[in-house]
Amino acid sequence: MLFDELLIAIMKAVNRERTISSPFHLIKGKKSGQTIQDIGYYGLYPYFAVMPRLEKRFYDQVVEGLFARGLLQKNEDVIDLTDLALTSQTPKTQLDGWKYRGNEQLFLNRLSLIVQTFSHISQKVNVFDPVVNTEEIQLWVKAYLRKSNFRDRAATAAFKTQLMDSLEEAPVTERHKMILMQRLSGLGSSGLTWEQIAASHGMTPLDVQLFTVETLHAWMQIIEQNRYPLLSMLMEGVIQQSALTESAQRTEKLFARGFALHQIAELRQLKTSTIEDHFVELAMNDPYFDYSSFLSEELYQAIVAVSRKQQTKRLRDIKEKVPEASYFQIRLALAIR
Amino acid sequence: MELEKLLYSTYGFSSFRPGQREVIEEVLKGNNVIALLPTGMGKSMCYQLPAHLLPGSVLIVSPLLSLMQDQVAQLKKMGEKSVVAINSFLKPEDKEKIWSTLGNYRFIFISPEMLVQPFVKKQLQRISISLLVADEAHCISQWGFDFRPDYLRIAEIMPLLNYPQVLALTATATSKVTNEIKKYLNISNPFIYTHPMDRKNLVYDVKRFEDQKEKIGWLKKFVDHCEGPGIVYAGTRKKAEQLALDLTNSGLSASFYHGGMDHQDRIFVQQQFQNGELDWVCSTNAFGMGVHIPNIRHVIHFQLPTSVEGYVQEVGRAGRDGKAALATLLYAEGDEGLLESLVMDELPTVREIREVYANRTEPERLVEQGIVRETALRVIAYWQSRLPLEGTLLQIEELQKEKIKQAEKIRKLVTIDGCIRQYISECFDQHLLDKPENCCVNDGIDYSVFKKRVKKAVKVVPASWKDRLDALLPS
Ligand SMILES: [Zn+2]
Repeated sequence: MLFDELLIAIMKAVNRERTISSPFHLIKGKKSGQTIQDIGYYGLYPYFAVMPRLEKRFYDQVVEGLFARGLLQKNEDVIDLTDLALTSQTPKTQLDGWKYRGNEQLFLNRLSLIVQTFSHISQKVNVFDPVVNTEEIQLWVKAYLRKSNFRDRAATAAFKTQLMDSLEEAPVTERHKMILMQRLSGLGSSGLTWEQIAASHGMTPLDVQLFTVETLHAWMQIIEQNRYPLLSMLMEGVIQQSALTESAQRTEKLFARGFALHQIAELRQLKTSTIEDHFVELAMNDPYFDYSSFLSEELYQAIVAVSRKQQTKRLRDIKEKVPEASYFQIRLALAIR
Repeated sequence: MELEKLLYSTYGFSSFRPGQREVIEEVLKGNNVIALLPTGMGKSMCYQLPAHLLPGSVLIVSPLLSLMQDQVAQLKKMGEKSVVAINSFLKPEDKEKIWSTLGNYRFIFISPEMLVQPFVKKQLQRISISLLVADEAHCISQWGFDFRPDYLRIAEIMPLLNYPQVLALTATATSKVTNEIKKYLNISNPFIYTHPMDRKNLVYDVKRFEDQKEKIGWLKKFVDHCEGPGIVYAGTRKKAEQLALDLTNSGLSASFYHGGMDHQDRIFVQQQFQNGELDWVCSTNAFGMGVHIPNIRHVIHFQLPTSVEGYVQEVGRAGRDGKAALATLLYAEGDEGLLESLVMDELPTVREIREVYANRTEPERLVEQGIVRETALRVIAYWQSRLPLEGTLLQIEELQKEKIKQAEKIRKLVTIDGCIRQYISECFDQHLLDKPENCCVNDGIDYSVFKKRVKKAVKVVPASWKDRLDALLPS
């Protein structure tokens, strides 16, 4: 998936209902109530946090490009796609951002340092500058290598075989895999910068970055099946057990112990609106979420009915028809599964 | 003789580099020392070896995170295991472990902002510190080209640690800066070791052009003829990127480097350059620290640097192998304009100062909103805690004057008829004793010592991902 295809895919889902900067927050993985709940409303799970370090100026440039190519039309408030964009095919993607949450970087960092070490040691070079200099990763990789008897040439061969076979299975293009390999370093072949990789494929830096994430997601799906034990170990801590953000988890615990919304806000010294965001997140993730203390059954039905009938998820539009509901109640009702 | 033995048994070097022995001996005598050693002369050995003889830990204050990481990596590469780095990126669980065993570390690296945190202070008071090292000590001086306000905080911790013995290290310092180091670190009668600034194997060249177009034309031709590796310093990130593109398009192996790049990308460029996969790096002044390449043959300044100190540090990255290296400064009519804006860019503006003083509670928001630059905020915040608005405005005005003076010195460097080597030495209050044969453009340069570029065979680029994997992990 190319970067502008990613934008169009997201924009199609939220067309005329969200602002032009909302896809940016989603791609960066912003943990705000709005972004999290939109993922549920619009089914944007694959795209969450796929590029956590995306810079706004680059995003803006691509958006400008969409206008210039007639895919977007001017609208002061919301995203407004042209027919050209709306009828375009959304390519299939292997992205699974909601599951990996940007943690593919952890996997890649470990992999980079392991490959670099094997590359040097197997060619009898014992001193080199590590390509990853975070202490945490270095310690992890050291422990991993110690377990795998890494000075033995057979260890390198075994690792390489499992890497090759598992990546072979990943359902992405050869180019995807090449780009990922270009990010790895070894003796005499340093890793390449995004610019350099982009130039070698005639693509943009953003495109090759997205390709890399897509490859990693596809590949990690294969590795998770546990048929390649030497790589399965690299998955340690990559997938978060709970789908909730950490802060929402804390709110969930307090709620389970019987505290009310305003009490939780007081206890945690957070704004009420933040705690509200957490409940929306809880409702989104937990099919058995008990909303009775926030929302009557009638009000819930009324909100859902309006949303369906008007085909909208814009809070303001719904509020107009159901004025007795608060914005929080509307958001909650829309989030409930 | 004993010291040499220790040097050999610990690090495998059979002799000291110039200056190291003098400094180490004074440190071991218990004296405070200020050592001015040019870059690439193995400054860190000055505390590394004493650390093996002193009873307590050596505390190294390092002004830049990237520099700290690099030093830790270098020490580990030399086989030192008892090393810890304390900076704001530490995780809580790691911190606990470090605090409980802090006194056991031989080398403790710390950033200035961590140094003054109450909890950290307490921990440091608890252990025995034999030597406090102020690395890149010129950063303490507000007159220096690289002033970091946070660095002044070392002064605050000195009494708490009972005025430990101090070793201040720097590559470039005028006597004005040396005096400030003495003052802030509270060391009255230090032993000062000054290594001659002058590097005999560096040849200074200046090229003048009518306009920018002529300049870029010359650069392309030059790098096409001359054998690298080399660094081209540009004034801005954008210029660095553009120059790299120009060189790449003329078929050279070049890339850019600046502080705005992805962290991993920066490491890749450094390693490519280090491994000889890249001949030219076009960069801002962010490139250099932590680059350990002995055979850089050329340093070209595409734009005027903002101070002679900065210039000397940058050209000092060339020719560390002792062989001839060429420093070329390019100047075109009108470059002063850019120089002026670059110089002013380094300082907070009056508007920024007023904004920060008006928004005492949440100055970070001003950075987020793009009203105040982050670098400016750091400087203002420091003075804000000490001075009223008028005082800070005055302070910055003084700094501005100083910066303009420094810029004038650079301007003079491109216009003088006399020896450039001599001029640079004078800027550091040093007396040049003798000049090498190949000295500078005004004394005449023998270019024949610099090798012509040999067109290398084009490196085979792996065609598929499996080929690339085979190159990384050959069977
Ligand atoms: Zn001369």
